[in-house]
Formats: sequence, structure tokens, C-alpha cells
Amino acid sequence: MMDALYELGITNQMMTSTGITLIISAIVIVAGRHMQMIPSGLQNIMEIVVEKLQNFYISVMGEYAGRKYFPIVASLFIYILICNYSGLLPFSGHLPGLAAPTSSINFPLGMALIVFVFTIVVGLVENRGPRYFKSFFRPVAFLFPIMLLEQLVHPVSLTLRLYGNIFGEEAVIAEFFNLIPLGVPIIMQALSVLMGLIQALVFSLLAGIYISEAAHPVDGNLHHQETCEIPVQQII
Amino acid sequence: MTLIAIAAALAIGLSTIGPGIGQGIASAKALEGMSRQPEMASELRTSMILALAFMEAMTIYGLLISILLLGKM
Repeated sequence: MMDALYELGITNQMMTSTGITLIISAIVIVAGRHMQMIPSGLQNIMEIVVEKLQNFYISVMGEYAGRKYFPIVASLFIYILICNYSGLLPFSGHLPGLAAPTSSINFPLGMALIVFVFTIVVGLVENRGPRYFKSFFRPVAFLFPIMLLEQLVHPVSLTLRLYGNIFGEEAVIAEFFNLIPLGVPIIMQALSVLMGLIQALVFSLLAGIYISEAAHPVDGNLHHQETCEIPVQQII
Repeated sequence: MTLIAIAAALAIGLSTIGPGIGQGIASAKALEGMSRQPEMASELRTSMILALAFMEAMTIYGLLISILLLGKM
């Protein structure tokens, strides 16, 4: 069965990432099946996680963008975190169908392209049309090539950062196993627990910053600024 | 052949020096700030991780170049 999948071009990384998606979906569906006003059990745990993440992203992205685009950055964080940690499972990379998805360049590239396209879509939606592209000419018009280059480098650097770090770690751990198979690799694996968390955090944080930059209006006086002012008028 | 191997080693070896020094300075300053103003610790930590990630990108580019060079061997 595995050979048939390999012939179709389906790699171990793809199988693991699909499995992780299914596991996360199953847990979330079970947790949210009978939602209660006063949560208990699994729903309680999920609410704590989501609330902590939301406070964190709001503090980075600002009140408006942080609340509105919280779902995508939090999903990226949770998904990439679990994908990074799947490389620490026993026999990961040696069993068929189990390998850390982030250790192949295609997975981070896909994630980074999602962020790239989403950033442009957010910019177009928040500025109500192509006015968003004015922001490329914003400080001074002749900086346009540099601003364009900066936009295009974002997905490349996101991809390479995630891929390079996780691939480098996995390679170092594998090399340690070849040298001394007992005891020593644990040090590197303990470090890799921390690194997996930091890389997932950095990826989603940068995605959040790019999105909140695109959500910032180019000319001002846009809808969400108006809605922000409504409570003040009501008080007066 | 050996030249490419040396070049790959130099690419990753040299590209770790700059970011290593930079990350050391950045985290030292951030720790100093955290110990002076513990109430700012969480904000400083976020900014520090972000700055470290940007510096680390340089090393990752070096790693990429050395992997590309090894592919040429």
C-alpha cells in the first residue's frame, strides 16, 4: 500500500501532515461538540489555550487586526508547532509514513505562500480595492522597487527560516545518533523542544505582523477607524 | 572536489560568526532591560525573539548555500 502511495508522489511528510490535520480536527470537534456557557473538561482547556493566544496576538498585532485575523495566525502557530514536534516522536524519519513535515522544504513553502497571498488579500479588502498598492509608493515614490522586493522576499525568508532550522536540527540529531547512539542525542532533543516552539512562534508572529501592516489603512479615514470612534461619540 | 567541500564548510562556518555575536549582544541587552524593568519583561521577550529570528536568517542563508554547494560535489 505504501509503495502505491510513493508512486503517486506522496511522501512521508505529506502523510504525517495530513495525519496531524485529522488529529487536530478530531480533538477540536470533540471539544466543541456540546458547548456550554460554563466550560468544563476539554472545552475548558481549549478556551484557556485560545484566550492566551488571543491576548498574545492582540498585544503584537493591535486590537483591530489582532481580533479579526486571529484565527489564521493561531492556526498557523498550532499546526506548525505540532508539525515541529512530530519530528521528536520515536522512529520519526525511519518508519514509513512518519517524518516531520517541516523538515522538507515544500511544507514551509506552502505555508509561506498562504501567508503571502493572504496578506495581499487583506490589504485589498481593508483598503476597499487597489488603493492598497499605493502603500508601495508611500514614503517616497522612487523606493517602489525596494518596497516590491521587500514584499517578495517575505515568503522566501519565512520558508528558509522554518525549513533551515528544523532541517538543521534533525540533521544534527541524526548525526549524533550515528556517533553515539545512547544518551548524548537527548541533549540536542531537549534543545529541539525549545527550538520547535520558538520557530512556530516566530513564523506566526511574522505572519501576524505582515497581515497587520497590510490591514493598516493607506490613507486613513476608513471603516474600522470610524467604527472605533463610535463608542467615544456615544459617551459624549 | 575538495575545494567545494572547503567552500561549503566556510560558507556555514563564517556565516555563524556575525549572527552569533549579534544575538549575544541583543539578548544581553534584552536581559539587562528585563532585570531593570521586570514589568516590561513579556514585551521585551517578544521583541527579542523577533530580533533573534531576523539575525538567524543570515545563518540559514549560509546553510542553504552550503547545502547547494554540497549538491554540486
